[in-house]
Amino acid sequence: MIELKSIRKAYQTGSQSLTVLKGIDCTIEEGELVAIMGSSGSGKSTLLNVLGLLDDFDEGSYVLNGQNMDGLSEKAAARYRSDFLGFVFQSFNLISYKTALENVALPLYYQGVPRKERQARALSFLTKVGLADWAEHLPNQMSGGQKQRVAIARALIANPSVILADEPTGALDSVTSDEVMALLKEINSEGITIVVVTHENEIANQCDRIIRLKDGRIEGANA
Amino acid sequence: MMDRDTWLEIFHTVLSNPLRTGLTGLSIALGIFILVVMQGLGAGLETGVKQTFGDDAANLMEVETGNAQLAFRGRKPNRRVELHNADEQAMRSQMDSVPAWSRLVYRWGSTVRYGNEQGSYGLRGVDPDQREIGQVNVTAGRFVSDRDIDQRRKVAVIGGQVLADLFPRGTTPEQAVGSLIQVRGIQFAVVGTFNQTGSRWENRSVYVPFSTAQKLFSNSDVVSRVAIGTGEASIDDTRETTTSLTGWLKDRLVVHPDDAEGVWVDNRNEQAEMYRQIFGGIRLFVWFVGMMTLLAGAMGVANIMAIVVRERTKEIGVRKALGATSGSIVAQISQEAVFLMLISGCIGLLAGTWLLQGIAPFVEHDFFSNPRVDFRSALLALGVLIFVGVISAIGPALRAVSIRPVEALRDE
Repeated sequence: MIELKSIRKAYQTGSQSLTVLKGIDCTIEEGELVAIMGSSGSGKSTLLNVLGLLDDFDEGSYVLNGQNMDGLSEKAAARYRSDFLGFVFQSFNLISYKTALENVALPLYYQGVPRKERQARALSFLTKVGLADWAEHLPNQMSGGQKQRVAIARALIANPSVILADEPTGALDSVTSDEVMALLKEINSEGITIVVVTHENEIANQCDRIIRLKDGRIEGANA
Repeated sequence: MMDRDTWLEIFHTVLSNPLRTGLTGLSIALGIFILVVMQGLGAGLETGVKQTFGDDAANLMEVETGNAQLAFRGRKPNRRVELHNADEQAMRSQMDSVPAWSRLVYRWGSTVRYGNEQGSYGLRGVDPDQREIGQVNVTAGRFVSDRDIDQRRKVAVIGGQVLADLFPRGTTPEQAVGSLIQVRGIQFAVVGTFNQTGSRWENRSVYVPFSTAQKLFSNSDVVSRVAIGTGEASIDDTRETTTSLTGWLKDRLVVHPDDAEGVWVDNRNEQAEMYRQIFGGIRLFVWFVGMMTLLAGAMGVANIMAIVVRERTKEIGVRKALGATSGSIVAQISQEAVFLMLISGCIGLLAGTWLLQGIAPFVEHDFFSNPRVDFRSALLALGVLIFVGVISAIGPALRAVSIRPVEALRDE
């Protein structure tokens, strides 16, 4: 599903160049639930951004779903994101003035799906994450766990091949964290590949595999 | 494109900070308001001046005589200079060609009577060409003809106001033709009527043949004035003619070359040109001030959009992660700016139009009449507004596009 070969990425800060990814090789198979761990500055967020086509890379190759992702234009990247990828963020990133239903339906808006169909599909995904009754609520009327479930429904609605989750439980208490992880595992069991970036061992241990990053390189992997 | 979601986005942005939106909208509305009102007042001034002065065609020259101020070739100063029939004929024969030519004698305050009604009107003895020169709009019957001149017929063409004053209520111009009226105690047959829409004074006039008027009412062969149509001649040609004709007249009538008041040629082309330039200048000024005000407003909108983009950096990042293209982000920002400008612009437009219509009945004056916003200017203002709206949105929109999702989504 995901194939990375010698990915290198450097950030230019003023006159200095900071190499964040120093040659990443890794393969993530379809249907895997993988955790990426590492201390801050290890390059895990950058790696997730590269995987999510939110940022480009300097060297190496990235094959997603059998398609080469080298040197994509912004427009093409936007299309692949909307076709293949779903995102879950630490701070949920719901749009504050839209209801839960509208937030979930938003990716379909950018795919040009008619409004009625968007609403219907959004409602079915909200039901799936157990929030059908909260469809008309605004994000600030919901708890953190509920917001993250809305965000997961939003990530799922475009029927992605891969879900990328950046510290999905970082802003949640342990009970809610477990609920969110259970939801992610359930989604994974339906065949969707999930990559979770986390620094929490309890979260990482619930995954099939852990990729540890240190100083821009993969340290080792265990099954 | 403009579906419900788009409108929701726009309303949210516009309503999320009512005070800021209100102030920005106010500056746009005020800009359009000032533009519309000034344009309307300018138009009112133009109409007023035109109604007062602009009753004749602009392409004519007029020869008039007055009191010579300077002694010349043995003549005393401050003497009356007159143009006689012989002078007029000599003048005509030395002109190359003239598209239209009309001699005139005037008798102001002439009593005109029909039945038991009478009134005081301007009497004008003219040649047939006066119809073309004075742009006389004949509503019934005919104008003075060459045969009238030759036979010194006692025929009259009366103005709309004369008809309304003297004839029974409801008399049509057609019915008035053929009636007999008394002009300064002499019986004339009405052969035509006219109506000048652009002028207050013309309609209070009675035209009669020049030859008839000179014989009956002036007891001399003096010509009060000669009106010369200049046709398609250029302004420079008419200037040249004016100069040479003035020189010729001064020589013939024995007037000092530096004497400004003995005899003169009034070139209406020049006046018309002057009015054109003055009103052109006023219009330019109005638009300039209006545009500057609009520009200030547009900067306000650009500013508000820049703030909106900054506040929504994260949201724009999320949208990009969810599949929004740069184009859709630019469209969204521009739509918001254009919407804001259109709404406030329309408010300004309506307020300005309303004010002009409200004051119009109270500001009638010789030099000011019917202030109004013409539809074309309003459309132009609206077009400018949309253009300015898009321009003012470009900066913030490009900033929004340049936001990389990575940076937007990075948690503090």
